[in-house]
Amino acid sequence: MVFIYDIINTIQDFIETGGDVLVVIAVVIAIMWLLIFERLVFVFAAYRTLKKQAQQGWSSRTDHSSWHAHHIRQAMVSRMSSALNNNLSLIQSLVVLCPLLGLLGTVTGMIEVFDVMAISGSGNARSMASGVSKATIPTMAGMVGSLSGVFAVTWLQRFAKRETQIFEDSLSLVDNNDAMARA
Amino acid sequence: MSTISMKQRINKTIAAFGLIALPAFAIAEQQAANLDQLLKQLEQGKIAQTKQNQQREADFKARVAEQDNMLKNARTERDNAIATSTALEQSFQANEVQIANRTEALNKRLGELKELFGVLQQVAGDTKGKFQTSVISAQLPGRDVFLDEFTQSMGSSTKLASIEEIERIWFELQREMTESGKLSSFNGEVVAADGTRRQQEIIRVGGFNLVSEGKYLEYIFETNAIAELKRQPSDRYLASARAIAADSSGPVAFSLDPTGGSILNLLVQAPNTRERVDQGGPVGYVILGIGLVGLLIALERFVSLFLIGRKVNRQLKSEQVSKDNPLGRVMSVQADNPNVDNETLELKLSESILREVPKLTTRLTLIKIISVVAPLIGLLGTVVGMINTFQAITLFGTGDPKLMAGGISQALVTTVLGLVVAIPMVFLFAYLNGRSRNIINVLQQESTGIIAERSEKGA
Repeated sequence: MVFIYDIINTIQDFIETGGDVLVVIAVVIAIMWLLIFERLVFVFAAYRTLKKQAQQGWSSRTDHSSWHAHHIRQAMVSRMSSALNNNLSLIQSLVVLCPLLGLLGTVTGMIEVFDVMAISGSGNARSMASGVSKATIPTMAGMVGSLSGVFAVTWLQRFAKRETQIFEDSLSLVDNNDAMARA
Repeated sequence: MSTISMKQRINKTIAAFGLIALPAFAIAEQQAANLDQLLKQLEQGKIAQTKQNQQREADFKARVAEQDNMLKNARTERDNAIATSTALEQSFQANEVQIANRTEALNKRLGELKELFGVLQQVAGDTKGKFQTSVISAQLPGRDVFLDEFTQSMGSSTKLASIEEIERIWFELQREMTESGKLSSFNGEVVAADGTRRQQEIIRVGGFNLVSEGKYLEYIFETNAIAELKRQPSDRYLASARAIAADSSGPVAFSLDPTGGSILNLLVQAPNTRERVDQGGPVGYVILGIGLVGLLIALERFVSLFLIGRKVNRQLKSEQVSKDNPLGRVMSVQADNPNVDNETLELKLSESILREVPKLTTRLTLIKIISVVAPLIGLLGTVVGMINTFQAITLFGTGDPKLMAGGISQALVTTVLGLVVAIPMVFLFAYLNGRSRNIINVLQQESTGIIAERSEKGA
């Protein structure tokens, strides 16, 4: 119990040292990772069944080479691609936002430093320390947040691109009867 | 009245006072008619004057004895005074010797007590200063009066401090010490932030803080008033102030200001959000205005894209082609041209898709532009603020940071405002662009496929 209380206290202290911007950064990182987890769940669970269904639907068709078939295939690929790319651009923008928010924290922290200078009229390092920590901690947090997201986003984007290609290739344009005839 | 009689009367009075007579012609009443008359007048006057003088001399001689007498009196008076003075001088010297002896005796007897009284006086002075800044004085007013009188009497006269007074100082010090370790509540008049006075229950936490009704108070010694701080610390601390007021048996966590109110007072000087934004100046307001415009555009886009997206999804699910949504309008091309070949149909489809796309992407670029421009305007404000700062340096030199603070505040606040506007805009653009891109994808990629599926089903 005391242990938990200690942890809460530490977090509270950290947030207070970092100021309000740190809270915003925390919220942004939380949203970003929620979206990333949603994507991961989709990639490892829902995507497979979706892919199987689409492939079965395509292979159950008799006609694979007409104008109609071409366009249906294109629509299927596009659906799959948009399903794979869903929310990716949003996650990407959140990754970009993190360092920006860090910069915002830096500037607000610097404002506090100058406030202290204006009030006390001196450059006393000890009294400016809180402003400096408010300037540096959000910067660090923003960097950490965007670094943590960058790898996930890059992987997800490459996966989406690759899987779209693989899916498109798996929908063959050769008619079943032709294939049978060749066999 | 004739001249003569007049003159005589005057002469009489003059004689009586023993004064010098006025020249007779000076009091000639009437102007002489001619020179003869003047001569006569002069003659008469002369005669009168000699008479007068003779009279005076006689008088003087008669009074010689009287004057001798007066001289004698004066001399005896002088002799007496000299005698008194000598006697007094002697006694003064004797007294001085006595005083010196007594002082020496006193110093001998005082010995170390002398240092003690010095220390006592210093302690009394220090304690007075301490009591003036201590919040305990809010509960026990008037403690400094005794100390004030004591230090003054110690400093001015040769009067020694009595045992009672020394003990009283001891008592006051001890009381301050004891009270500073206690949590006590008392009733007092509190001046609220809006200036109204109310009787409230005040809780004193040692010698650190005064709290009442979950708010921190300050003690102003000069007016002996207890006032609510105009700006209170954050809620987390106020909660602890409320907790201490609630009756509880166990220990309570309380945030106290170890400086006895100095830190809390600095809170009042720190500007709040509104004042901060004002520091940004006109550039700051421009940024905020642009941000507001961007927000409104984003809101409008969000609503319309949401509605269009919902209609498109409904269209995807339904068999009926309705023309209230972009997908329906694209699909209706096939229904309108039932007999054309595939090539022409495809051309007509792409034409109708091209008609729909601008409606979906409209004003999104504006949001993108705002997200880029806002930090730039912030940069402009930064430069303007720095120019002000350097102007202040040119005028007043770099001696006082307070003079430069205004420009620096403007410089930083505009940067902050630029970022505050740009960050949500970037986010909103990403989100809205994603939505519109999804709908356009449906139109471009899927519409032909959907038409193909429908025609197959129909066929």
